[in-house]
Amino acid sequence: MLLIYQVPREPSTPRIAIWRRLRRLGVASLADGLVALPEDARTREQLEWVADEVEAAGGSSILWRAQTLSVSDERRVAGRMAVARAEEYERIIGAAQAALAGEISDQARHLRRLRRELREVRRRDFFPPKERQGAQAAVEALADSAHAYADAKAAR
Amino acid sequence: MRWTTRAGVHIDRAASAWLIRKFIDPDAEFDFVEGPENVDDTAIPFDMRGVEFGHHGDDCTFETLLRRHDLMNPVLWRIAAIVHEADLEDGRYDAPEAAGLDVVLRGLSMVCPDEVVIELTSPVFDGLYEYFKRSLLLGTEPA
Repeated sequence: MLLIYQVPREPSTPRIAIWRRLRRLGVASLADGLVALPEDARTREQLEWVADEVEAAGGSSILWRAQTLSVSDERRVAGRMAVARAEEYERIIGAAQAALAGEISDQARHLRRLRRELREVRRRDFFPPKERQGAQAAVEALADSAHAYADAKAAR
Repeated sequence: MRWTTRAGVHIDRAASAWLIRKFIDPDAEFDFVEGPENVDDTAIPFDMRGVEFGHHGDDCTFETLLRRHDLMNPVLWRIAAIVHEADLEDGRYDAPEAAGLDVVLRGLSMVCPDEVVIELTSPVFDGLYEYFKRSLLLGTEPA
C-alpha cells in the first residue's frame, strides 16, 4: 500500500503526531509525503486511520494499492525496511549488553523496557533481518541474569 | 437501531459493539460490510473511515463512543485504556492486559465469523467490567 499525503506545515503538532504514528507502523518513507507498507488487515486499517487524521489536520491523502513493475524495485523497498529494523534491533542489542555489564540491581528495570521495545519493533518488522534473533538472544541473556539475581536475593 | 461496521472484527469493533448494546442501545443489531459506501441510511456506522463514531484525534472508536455519549463511568474508561492500547499501541496508557486480549481477539477472528466474535466476546467484556468495578470499589485487585 502507498499513502500519499500532504499536511500543512503549521500547526506542527498534528503533522508531527501523524509522522510519529507512521513511524510506529514501520512504513518505508519513499519520498516527502509518500510512504509504503505491506498490506494486511491490520496495516490497512491503521493506514486508513492515518489518512483520516491527515484530512482532519486540513491535509489531503490518497491510499493506493500499488505494485512495482520490477521485482528488484520491490526488493529494494523491502530491503530498506529491513535495514531500518536492523538498526533498531542493533540498538536493543547494545542496550541489553550495556545493562548486562552494568549494575545488576538495575537489570530488571532495563529488562522491562527492552522487552517492550523489542515487542514494538517486532510488530513493525515485515522483512525480518538477521539482527532480530540477536536482539531476542541479548534480551533473553539479560533476563537470565536479572532472574538469577532476584533468586539469589530471595534466598538470602 | 441497526449499527453497521467493517467486516473483520477486531478489538475496537468487538468492544464497541458490547458498549453499544450494554450502555447505548440495548436493542442494537449489528451487521458487517466492506466499507462506508456499503452502509445504508437506516443504520448507524461505527469504526469506519469518515464517520462520527470512528477514530478522532488520539481516540479509538470505543473512546469516541464514550465521549459522544457522555459516558464518564471510570470502569468503562479503564476498559477504554485496554482497547486503546490493543488497537493503537501508542503507549499512552499503562494497560498490560492489552497485549493478551489483542492476541485472543486476533485468534478468534481467524476461526469465527464476525457475528460469532461479537457474541463470544460480550461475556468477556462483561467479566472485565465486573473485575474492574470490583477493583475500583476495593481499591485493590480483586481475588
